[in-house]
Amino acid sequence: MGTAPASRDVTSYGMGLAAPLALFFLLFFVAPLLQLFWLSLHNDTAGLHWGLGQYLHFLTDPFSLGVLGSTLLLGAEVTAVCLVLGFPIAWLYQRVGPKLQTIIILIVLLPLLTSVVVRTFAWIVILGRQGIINATLQSLGIIDTPLKLLYTQFGVVIALAQVQMPLMTLPLITALGRIEPNLDDASCSLGAGSWRTFFRVVLPLSLPGVIAGCTLTYAAAITAFITLSLVGGGQMLFMPMYLYQQASTLQNWPFAAAISIIFLLAVLAVVSVFTTLGRLSRGHGGA
Amino acid sequence: MIMNRRSLLTTALTLGAMKAFPGLSFAQARPLVFATFTGSWEEAHKAVLVPAFRKANADAAIVLDPMLSVDQIAKVNAAKANPPIDVMLHDPGPALIAIGQDLVEPYPVEKSVHYKDLIAEAQEPMGPAPFFQVVGLTYNPEAVKTPPTSWADLWKPEFKGRVGITNLNSTLGTGWLVEIAKMRGGSEANVDPAFKALEELKPNLAAVAANPGALATLFQQGQIDISPGNFNAIQILKARGVPVEFVAPKEGAIAFKTTIHIVKNSPNRELAFKLIEAALTPEVQTTLMNPPYLIVPTNSKVTMGGEIARVLAKDTAELKKKFVFQDWKKINEQRSAWIERFNREIKI
Amino acid sequence: MSGRRRTLEALSFELVMTVIAVIALIIIIAPSLVVVIVSFTSGFSLRFPPPGYSLRWYAELWNAWQLHFAAKNSLIVAFWATGLSVVLGVAAALAISRSRTLSARLLDSLFMSPLVLPALAFGLAALMLFSLVGLPVSPLTLVIGHTVVCVPYVVRNTVAALAQLEPTLLESSAVLGASRLYTFRRIVLPLIRPGIIAGAFIAFMSSFDNVPVSLFLRDAATDMLPIRMWQDLEGKLDVTIAALSGVLIIATVALVAVMERVTGLSRRLTN
Repeated sequence: MGTAPASRDVTSYGMGLAAPLALFFLLFFVAPLLQLFWLSLHNDTAGLHWGLGQYLHFLTDPFSLGVLGSTLLLGAEVTAVCLVLGFPIAWLYQRVGPKLQTIIILIVLLPLLTSVVVRTFAWIVILGRQGIINATLQSLGIIDTPLKLLYTQFGVVIALAQVQMPLMTLPLITALGRIEPNLDDASCSLGAGSWRTFFRVVLPLSLPGVIAGCTLTYAAAITAFITLSLVGGGQMLFMPMYLYQQASTLQNWPFAAAISIIFLLAVLAVVSVFTTLGRLSRGHGGA
Repeated sequence: MIMNRRSLLTTALTLGAMKAFPGLSFAQARPLVFATFTGSWEEAHKAVLVPAFRKANADAAIVLDPMLSVDQIAKVNAAKANPPIDVMLHDPGPALIAIGQDLVEPYPVEKSVHYKDLIAEAQEPMGPAPFFQVVGLTYNPEAVKTPPTSWADLWKPEFKGRVGITNLNSTLGTGWLVEIAKMRGGSEANVDPAFKALEELKPNLAAVAANPGALATLFQQGQIDISPGNFNAIQILKARGVPVEFVAPKEGAIAFKTTIHIVKNSPNRELAFKLIEAALTPEVQTTLMNPPYLIVPTNSKVTMGGEIARVLAKDTAELKKKFVFQDWKKINEQRSAWIERFNREIKI
Repeated sequence: MSGRRRTLEALSFELVMTVIAVIALIIIIAPSLVVVIVSFTSGFSLRFPPPGYSLRWYAELWNAWQLHFAAKNSLIVAFWATGLSVVLGVAAALAISRSRTLSARLLDSLFMSPLVLPALAFGLAALMLFSLVGLPVSPLTLVIGHTVVCVPYVVRNTVAALAQLEPTLLESSAVLGASRLYTFRRIVLPLIRPGIIAGAFIAFMSSFDNVPVSLFLRDAATDMLPIRMWQDLEGKLDVTIAALSGVLIIATVALVAVMERVTGLSRRLTN
């Protein structure tokens, strides 16, 4: 087993142990993505003529660019909602006893492990014309005719925020747990108010967690095919459905490949912006 | 050369994998895959056709994979040599395409017991028609007190935010669009007037369903009150007490036959034939004609009765006289362009 | 005076934070409760509150052979994908966890990348590759695809468990003459086992729930449960799906409770 007999360091294992997974990833992860890239550089479905036609088509087409733009915007909205709602949960978590802490964690964790179709399905029930929100508002006499909530941007953002909330909250809880509690007290005793302390001390110190949470939430939100399709309905088109339609219904694989690559790059760009921010904030925190 | 290397790689991968995963056997033949339509079709086929087929064929394994005709064609086209579907169901437009692209086998007419009993229109050698479909207006009688009488009623201001339509991937959507074009001076070759009309319809649109089955869902959830719709699609819902009614518009409801085909290179050819035979039997067609399914039969041994005779037609002759049959050959010429245009323009 | 303003100010802060937190927690938990309640409806639509209560949709579930078929497939694929993920992932985690070399860090990023990259793009890519080499869609292709997106969870949890291991423990074992294999089996493995189990559990759940990869790598003969549920919801809003959802929610709650006992799942995910 041991692949590095020369090494007397018993606490580490040879890199050879990573070889099977590395090979597996090379064959079934890297190779498919390269093949995807290769196909996207062809102008015809059969993959015989090289060219940038697919990319030109996408990047010069206002419709496609609109789909990309609205997808990226949607991700930002969902991430913002998750942050605003998720942060107080993480904050509360630090102030309650261990029993309540476990309960909070389990509440946060549960949706992460519940089927995404089930969670989305719940939102159809809640947002529908005869759903809970409309029924409540009508019985309270606030509205006469039911509001349209399903198949709207609002509905999609709310549903996605709930579905992705754990991805935001868990890193936040971790980050807040690492902040020295005395720091908080010190700031308060120095005369800074609670709000001030929060924005000047707690928030900056928890930035690594915020950034980790934002990255995960954002990446998950814009690829949430099921939620986008069921709560968004037939009129709102986002990148995942666009990709799926082109690939599956229209069998336009080179264009679908180009959409995938553009989508991948867009996500990578957003993630690296987040990562850079993270590095900067850590540098800042250390200073 | 390339083929050789490729097949070698495949064999190596497959063999290696089978060693690694004895539980994932490839030896086991896959079940018969029947691509039906979504919604009420799937329910009707699941409840009536599949049990009849399984009873006659020693509980043969079968899976329903409901999807639109265009998707069926795309899936089979992607893997012609090893199609993922054995039996396809097509409305007239896609049927022409499937036959044109050589995706289906001729129906073994000489072997068939029931083929000769079908009415003349249903006797298609490339795949017989087990039923007719009729498209008119569907509406919620609790919300819409005076029944609509014309396609033009969808544009009435009172239906602001209450109208549902489907996209053009379905026969329902495309057929309806063509009728709207005709209403506004267009034709099967010119649907520009219809697209202009769609623009005017936007304030009324509550939802654009991905398929006709989803329209029924929208009624069930109260998301829409009126829509173009299939006569059969709403019947199961209606039987369950969901308030929804069908009416033929004065311009004439659209009728078309739906054909069923054996996919070329299907590994389950024999079972596919058996399934289609089951769909043609008078027993299955009679059951499907009765509530709650109300599917128009094509076997001449089945006499039209009940709700179908009352609302639609007493027999095929009347059906042909009363309803609009569209020229799908013409429609097919431009359909993909329309789909593209629709998807771009109808974003609300 | 200023002291009172301070407390008032502190109070307002705590109040706002607590209220938002409680609202957020309700938003998180409410949908699951709603689904469970609706699944007991006696009606045909998803009205809330239901017009009456019955177990009819659970009875209906008993006869839903297509859902059974899809659930069986999903379980088989999740089982194999998890097994493969554990074998490959734990080995890789051992290799990269204590190594500071560049290659270890690169491999770590590679193994984690399926978590952030759009899985839908990977699903399409995998389908293209498999069809290029002529491998038809099958349980095998599904297992491969799922393993790629599930293995990060195993790697991450195992690496985290290894990081908490005292190096001195291993050193003393070696000093006492134990072989590496013996040390691994008798000391390392028992200590990191909860981490592996937690990772395997999350991998299993995410495979069972996977949509983006299955979307491309499945067909009717290898139907997968989440896809089947999605299609049923989109096509006919079947209330049976509500009953199935009820079953899945209860099963998830039970599994999470067991995992919390066995592995302290909640602590693992916040450390």
